[in-house]
Amino acid sequence: MKDSISLLGGVVLRVVEDVGQYARFTMTAVLGIVRPPYRWRLLFKQMEFVGNGSLSIVAITGVFTGMVFAVQSDYAFGMFGARGLLGSTVVLALTRELGPVLTSLMVNGRVGSAMAAELGTMRVTEQIDALESMAIDPIQYLASPRILASMLMLPILCATFDAVGAIGVSYVATYTLGVNPGPFFDRMMWYVDTDDIWGGMLKSAIFGFLLSSIGCYRGYYARGGAEGVGQATTKAVVAAGVLILVVDYFVSLILAPMSVNRS
Amino acid sequence: MSDSIRIVGLQKSFGAQKVLQGVDLELPLGQITVVIGRSGTGKSVLLKTLMGLMRPDGGSILIGGQDITRLGDRELMRVRNRFGMVFQHAALFDSMTVFDNVAFPLREHDRKMKEAEVKRRVDAALADVGLAEAGHKWVHELSGGMRKRAAVARALVRKPEFLLYDEPTTGLDPIMTAHVDELIRSAQDHTEGLTSLIISHDMQATMRIADKVAMLHEGRIIHEGTPEDFQTSSHPVVRQFVDGKLEGPIQV
Ligand SMILES: Nc1ncnc2c1ncn2[C@@H]1O[C@H](COP(=O)(O)OP(=O)(O)O)[C@@H](O)[C@H]1O
Ligand SMILES: [Mg+2]
Repeated sequence: MKDSISLLGGVVLRVVEDVGQYARFTMTAVLGIVRPPYRWRLLFKQMEFVGNGSLSIVAITGVFTGMVFAVQSDYAFGMFGARGLLGSTVVLALTRELGPVLTSLMVNGRVGSAMAAELGTMRVTEQIDALESMAIDPIQYLASPRILASMLMLPILCATFDAVGAIGVSYVATYTLGVNPGPFFDRMMWYVDTDDIWGGMLKSAIFGFLLSSIGCYRGYYARGGAEGVGQATTKAVVAAGVLILVVDYFVSLILAPMSVNRS
Repeated sequence: MSDSIRIVGLQKSFGAQKVLQGVDLELPLGQITVVIGRSGTGKSVLLKTLMGLMRPDGGSILIGGQDITRLGDRELMRVRNRFGMVFQHAALFDSMTVFDNVAFPLREHDRKMKEAEVKRRVDAALADVGLAEAGHKWVHELSGGMRKRAAVARALVRKPEFLLYDEPTTGLDPIMTAHVDELIRSAQDHTEGLTSLIISHDMQATMRIADKVAMLHEGRIIHEGTPEDFQTSSHPVVRQFVDGKLEGPIQV
């Protein structure tokens, strides 16, 4: 009994320590974004990596999500004769939830893991020590451009997902399922607000911050050779993935009332 | 402008493991000091605390009378600008070419410097270490010896006052070892007021390049003097290490 309590205490202590260290790391990185020197070249390189590099996987995910969602919703709506609502419902779900969440989860798998692995490798090969020995703040040099680039590019990727997803829905609904295009597009325009799109983009900026800061943090404090880098990468992807879903719920709670008074 | 470095009672532990237990050492201005010791005695830890990459638990590091262990992060950054360091495994940035690695400290710290001037300095630094033709290569294309030499060029390019080398020749073949030793010696002779600290366990090389030798053992400097002193010392641990004997106070 005493043993299990002290064991639990140890775990809690480690978690608290970890969260504290993460907070300190992230704070330094965010301050590093606003403080000079500004390293534009690093920022553009990261924006290209996060943005351009993820475009195709986000587009493919978007179009198929839209298409499958159209098929499933058509089945459900068909049961009570409301097929005209298909377009608006699916596109609302895409822009408000699926766009930001799925985009971020896909990008997390690609970018969050790469950041953890890259910084982890730099840590265990003493490249981070080398930066520090040259009087360069390694957190500002490495983490700040990655975090800023992710916060800037995720909303753009999310908008891409939304657009491509809407095309997927429209195609499947009107061509494959034979939904009447007139009311389909009318309702879609009527029900989907720019607020929905902005809300989704704001969410994805938050998720971009999460996945990049966690990826960088895990990599930065990796230790113990190749195995340690592997562990850091896995931990980063899992933690960011879970956190994206948890944070999504709370952000949705905050954002929802803001769009209640729509016409 | 240049200062000597004095290390007094330096202590550093990792958890229960006491690595440095009161190291006293002076690095005379303009000279090469070589610290020898078995692997795992804390030689790299000594270098890292010296540059403030690790905080010591006790003791002080005096540079021109200023104790750098008491400095805040920002002041420490300024102190680090006076140092150059060659890491044990070179620690070159593998996302860059050799040229960009050597240019890196200049581009970061001398931001107003024209690219033509950067190129002139980097080419000169690369030529000094015999890598004039290798600037365009990526780090993974280099042999171990070339990496070490590129790391030396990177450490020297901003003309530091203090140059620290962590086992610069470990893992190199004898000819490359002689070459790197030559390089260290010539860097020393060509740079006015340069104070160097070299970590090594190569006794031959130590005898060739050292002005002063100190031996780190069980967390302390147990013997120091000229290379000749070490050849003739009767200290049992020093004897065993210098002669490379199995019998003696150090049990493996
Ligand atoms: N960051 C660290 N965390 C924990 N232990 C460390 C760390 N760095 C070094 N050590 C330990 O300190 C001891 C000395 O290491 P080091 O200075 O690398 O030895 P060497 O003399 O071979 O360079 C070793 O036992 C090593 O395990
Ligand atoms: Mg070492």
